[in-house]
Amino acid sequence: MLDRHAPDPGAAPMAAPDAQYLDVVAIRKAFKGVTVMDGLDFRMARGELVSLLGPSGCGKTTLLRIIAGLMQADDGSVILAGRNIASLPPHKRNISVVFQNYALFPHLSVAENVAFGLRARGMSKADAVKPVHEALALVRMQDFAERSITALSGGQQQRIAVARALVVRPHLLLLDEPFSALDRKLRETMQVELKSLLRDRGITGIFVTHDQDEAMGVSDRIAVMNAGRIEQFADPSTLYATPATPFVMDFLGLSTRLSGRVASQEGALVAVDTDLGRLRAPGTLAPGTPVLIGVRPELIRLDGGADMNRVDLVLEDVAILGSKTMLQGRPGAEDRLLCELAGIRNGKSRGDAVSFHWAVEDTLLYDLSAGTTP
Amino acid sequence: MSTARADRIGLLVLPGLAYLGLIYALPLFLLLLKSFRDATGALSVAEFVQIFGDPLQRSIIARTLRVAFLVTLLALVIAWPTAIVMRSARGGWLSLFLVAIILPMSLGVVVKAFAWSILFRSNGFINQSLMTMNLIDAPIRLLFTETALVIGAANVFLPFMVLPIYAVLQQQDPNLPDAAATLGAGPYRRFFKVIVPLAMPGVVAGCAFVFSMAVSMYVIPSLIIGERQQTVAMQIARSFLFLRNEQLGSSLSTILLLIAVSVVLGSSWLAARLGARQ
Repeated sequence: MLDRHAPDPGAAPMAAPDAQYLDVVAIRKAFKGVTVMDGLDFRMARGELVSLLGPSGCGKTTLLRIIAGLMQADDGSVILAGRNIASLPPHKRNISVVFQNYALFPHLSVAENVAFGLRARGMSKADAVKPVHEALALVRMQDFAERSITALSGGQQQRIAVARALVVRPHLLLLDEPFSALDRKLRETMQVELKSLLRDRGITGIFVTHDQDEAMGVSDRIAVMNAGRIEQFADPSTLYATPATPFVMDFLGLSTRLSGRVASQEGALVAVDTDLGRLRAPGTLAPGTPVLIGVRPELIRLDGGADMNRVDLVLEDVAILGSKTMLQGRPGAEDRLLCELAGIRNGKSRGDAVSFHWAVEDTLLYDLSAGTTP
Repeated sequence: MSTARADRIGLLVLPGLAYLGLIYALPLFLLLLKSFRDATGALSVAEFVQIFGDPLQRSIIARTLRVAFLVTLLALVIAWPTAIVMRSARGGWLSLFLVAIILPMSLGVVVKAFAWSILFRSNGFINQSLMTMNLIDAPIRLLFTETALVIGAANVFLPFMVLPIYAVLQQQDPNLPDAAATLGAGPYRRFFKVIVPLAMPGVVAGCAFVFSMAVSMYVIPSLIIGERQQTVAMQIARSFLFLRNEQLGSSLSTILLLIAVSVVLGSSWLAARLGARQ
């Protein structure tokens, strides 16, 4: 278990041979005097698929626009493939963008849309025919070349937007909420399809999204953003299992939250007093420190040994969620306990007195004294 | 809604239809009919042959078309940047622009025309400025010229050019120029390959408005250039009011109507063609 009580706000990128393919350094940005980004760093390797994940207003779209050159940072540099592109206009960066609404040109046909970037690079109409056809074939839209954009469905438009972005062989592909305009079923299909397409072509890509499932599904690593900062930058399983901050814990899935105060240090464990009794968690903190305890719901069981953390409570809600059941208790105003059980026939109902058990090492511990928002 | 109910609602169009038919279509039809008859009342195109054979009438028609074309062109050249600026204007600035464009429409042409004469006359503002800057030695004739007419008419019709262009620009997805930029298109390519083609329906509509109004204008040329250089509309009025030549007047009306109709049909055809893909 990682030492989690001192959240590291900075990114901790994995060491890779060309970990600095894209190196965004010390970005500062203010809108009308309000600082929205203050020294943000972001770094990724060639061929990586990364998501910028966060709630609206967290700065993820601002960061995307700064990387694309559609917005100027007040300070900082953007280094792509060894070149500082921070002062280049967007049309000289060779960074393609798939926009949220796809931004296809309504006055051009499908093929003309895909050819746009090639023509802008000086390629003749005749020379563009072959790459355009290949790009359309890549997204299985070759039969639609002469169609009008408005005659396409949302999913088809997205494919054209991807083909248009990829045909120019960009150094970097940025995708701004690319799936948000699609309905849920189609969204899942397109996520799988797009991920394997980008993976096969070795595309370096950044997805901007507010949807944690989407970020988990499509990316190698996720940068969770909050208030213009990257709270944690790691692979999906690390993020989920060991979120660096309460914000990351809450943003990626549900979890039990109990507030308490450190009672004592017991070796590598900290004993915490909560309204529901004493709990233990891995970590090192001074007695009296206000803390937040978190547990992922699938790690909680209804029975367990004496060496586990245990909380007795009365169920407030039992929700059947298809293949699983979520048991919920709310012992205090801020406290919330969630237990996820496989299957839906477990005989529990609202008002039942139960005990939640979980392993001490599965307990997440956050220091609230540093002013971190719980 | 049932078909029967829809039919009954459809009846509501009758009063308007009857009004238009009686007050507008019927007299116009009679006027057109007159233009195709000779003095004895027999069907004939003699009047048209005579008009197009007369150098004076030909020059009037040519001037009318030339002025209308130049007015449209000038209005377009001024309206385009205005509409571009208005698209990015917000809040108070946008209101200011809209008021500045729409309010002058409520000011009568007569008032405007006399205001211009202050500007255009030989000791007027324009001549004095040009002379002060040593660009000209003696006052140039502006009032009672075609130039003054074109400038004045473009001013009056400007709102009808700005508003349709602004409307299409405003509806454009602001991401489109950005998308073009990320695909490698520089400012010129973005302008000519994305912004302009998408604005064409508005440009066509504005040109059709302004041209059809400019080709049939009567008050503005009467006030600015007077009888000296006539336009078709002035000639029509003169035929009916002074020459008492209803034959000539109705034939000229027919010609003017044909020009207007072809502009409307031509522009809607063009707009449909441009809009087919959008």
